[in-house]
Amino acid sequence: MLTSALAGLAAGGTYALLGVCAVFTYRMVAVVNFTGAAIGAAGTFAMVLLNEQGVPLPAAVAMGIAFGALISALIGAVMARWFAGASAQTKAAVTVAILVGMIALGLRITGGQHPHRLPELFPGAAFSLAGVVITIAATVSILLAVAFTTGATLFLRHTRAGLQLRALSEHPMAAELTGIRTRLLTVLVWLVSGAASSLALMIVAPQRAPNFLSLSELIVPAFAAALLGFLRNFWLTVAGGIALGILEGVASNLVSLNQYRAGVPFLIILAILLWAQRGARWDEIR
Amino acid sequence: MKSASLRAVATIALSALVAASLILGLLPSYWIFLFTSAAIAGVVLQGIGIVAGRTGMISLCQMSFAGVGAWTVAWLSLHEVPGSLFLWILIGGAAAVPLGVAVGLPALRLRGINLAIVTLGFAAAFDDVLAATTFPGQTEFKFVTRPSLVESDEAYFAFCVAAFALVAIGLELMSRTRLGATWLAIRHSERATAAHGVSVPGGKLSAFALSAFVAGIGGGLLAGQLGTLVSDSFNLMQSLAVFVVATMVGARHAEGAAFGGILIVFVPELLRQFALPQDLGDILFAVGATQALSMGASTSETFRASLRRLRRRRAPSPAHIPAAPPIAAPLTSPCASSAAGARAPAVSIRGLTVRYGNVVALDQVDLIVPERAVTGLIGPNGAGKSTLIDAVTGFIRSYEGTLTMDGEPLDGLAAHQRARAGVRRTWQQTRIAPDLTVGAYVRLAAGRTVSQREIADILEWLDCPPHNELVAEIDIGTRRLLDIAGAVAARPRAIFLDEPAAGQSYEQSTRLAARIAELPDRFGTSVVLVEHDIDLVRRTCSTVTVLDFGRVIASGAPTAVLSDDAVVRAYLGAREEALAG
Repeated sequence: MLTSALAGLAAGGTYALLGVCAVFTYRMVAVVNFTGAAIGAAGTFAMVLLNEQGVPLPAAVAMGIAFGALISALIGAVMARWFAGASAQTKAAVTVAILVGMIALGLRITGGQHPHRLPELFPGAAFSLAGVVITIAATVSILLAVAFTTGATLFLRHTRAGLQLRALSEHPMAAELTGIRTRLLTVLVWLVSGAASSLALMIVAPQRAPNFLSLSELIVPAFAAALLGFLRNFWLTVAGGIALGILEGVASNLVSLNQYRAGVPFLIILAILLWAQRGARWDEIR
Repeated sequence: MKSASLRAVATIALSALVAASLILGLLPSYWIFLFTSAAIAGVVLQGIGIVAGRTGMISLCQMSFAGVGAWTVAWLSLHEVPGSLFLWILIGGAAAVPLGVAVGLPALRLRGINLAIVTLGFAAAFDDVLAATTFPGQTEFKFVTRPSLVESDEAYFAFCVAAFALVAIGLELMSRTRLGATWLAIRHSERATAAHGVSVPGGKLSAFALSAFVAGIGGGLLAGQLGTLVSDSFNLMQSLAVFVVATMVGARHAEGAAFGGILIVFVPELLRQFALPQDLGDILFAVGATQALSMGASTSETFRASLRRLRRRRAPSPAHIPAAPPIAAPLTSPCASSAAGARAPAVSIRGLTVRYGNVVALDQVDLIVPERAVTGLIGPNGAGKSTLIDAVTGFIRSYEGTLTMDGEPLDGLAAHQRARAGVRRTWQQTRIAPDLTVGAYVRLAAGRTVSQREIADILEWLDCPPHNELVAEIDIGTRRLLDIAGAVAARPRAIFLDEPAAGQSYEQSTRLAARIAELPDRFGTSVVLVEHDIDLVRRTCSTVTVLDFGRVIASGAPTAVLSDDAVVRAYLGAREEALAG
């Protein structure tokens, strides 16, 4: 039991990091981003393809992250250019549309015919806990989630750009009127979360079905983690992501449940929402 | 049935008949098979149209619902349950409903975006279930049996087109009911919908359940078409793709759904014919949907708008602006009519305190709204007038103090329950869904059965456009009158009017003053008037209460209150200094 629970840690770290990215984009630029994992998948496959072409792994990783960041920034630019004043629903619908396009394009480029080998970035064991080996990948992904959260919190609290970002998130129009370059900031938010998502997926990808679609679907557990943080709280999201990974690990150990493993995030989402709607809430503007 | 709905039904039925006959008469059987698929996709798209198009929510698991319908039909067929395919399809649709309710229920009272996440989670979980199970009859190679009536592919095509048309007609008729108006209103503004006494979660849930039903029907039709099913038809990617197409074409209109169904089937087919990769289609749809979202109008909406313009150009309507009717009689000062103080209170507000963090928006406010009278509530910007309305009508969750209507407490009631109990409001910015007709709006706001005659009377009395006019086509000033028309049609105990004269010309506001002053006697209602137009207040109100920084600074007869030093100071700043200077 413990073994399988801890085996879920690597996935948990990824969910946490992806979830934090989702909360970050939602809080900063008010977009529920359905493309988060797909962006990461794009970065990951860029890394894989470059690596297959003979680019050494560290360089390929750096270029893959840069590629993911670039794609994300492009989506951010589309958002800032055409949908800055749109409702949350519209923005989410746009990211769904982009997701469908990305998956189609991603499947085409990476191809289903010849499978790719996804290199392990952090092979080997880090240490063992109660007789269970914890992989470096698990450790790194959790540390990354914590580091990203700490970094984001400090950045938002203590830097001028962070202050401007908070202004942007509170009231985009007012922020723009005070001379904040909202479009640039929006694109930067997307850039950063794109880079982080790419790294997260590179770490978890070797343990998953190595195709673009299944990697893009990691957005579901990411959202479940983000909902555990009520789409607001970074640390709750980190904790939620890790807990989700562990729960999935446990579920995969129970033979009867194994094939329904991916149902876990859905059940968690349902449970949180049921709990959260003790009081009705009105959509802010409407 | 009214002539407008009759015409709409006839249009749909006739178009379906003509399209089906043309396709059957002119095209070879392979094309007929493709068009059958298009009609079925069109049915599923109409399902999304209810949730996404009409109600403005995002549903990303429509193909999962279709999968439930298909699975049910396959199961019923395998077990040879009596009733044939026709009944099985209906059962398949019904089977999807409880699932739709279960998925939708947790998110309905929360911000809409949560529903999108839940439905995505459900679609992903459903993928796993599909991967782990097979469709009934799949392993034994048993096909879903069609009844002899629709055995041939041609007959089955006709059946699918008929199903599409029936769903379209059903939705068209439904859109003319109060429920249909509720959906459109929710999409535009949830708060305004609740203020009409409509339960917003209920409206959303009905839309979601019906959309699951329609999707289930679509799945059942597919089971009948293909005979045997593969889980790939119902996976997450398919759900996302149909959502995107629905967004692009505007699936809430029948012609949009039909067009979308044709796109879903024929774009990949054409790409195949030209030896191009078929997944280009999804990229095309993604671009199309993004474009539609950025324009704020889908294919079918653009189509309908240009159709309206064309019709208008062809038949220039007679000068539309009604001549201003003369004001019946010079207004008597309302104070003179009776001593307002002697009236029983309709609504009483005691010790109302509202805090936003450290800011005290309302501080121990007492206000008695007498029966059948107009009470003015004035004060400078930020004094707390709109906050008071929000608190009384149930849009602020936490406040201190007690609110009663006719002695019954209002506290603890949700906004729509307060509206039903008889407390109505209008908004500073008009929030009428532009997709509604004037008549549908008044009927929605009334919350009771109102005769055509009564609606016409109210509209005429307030100089509103006729009932068949689309709200989108009337100017903002007139929409503000329509706000009032909706509120009075409900025959409430009390109406809170939030700056009804804002944005009105002098003549309009003079006329409005006359109407507002008549409201109590004509409709038996109390009126609380929040207004900056002091002239209007003086003309209409029997008592006036003044708020400043969340406190009541004066209350009483208009002439006395309006000349009160504290009131003048609140509005204009210190008077002494001005004099001294």
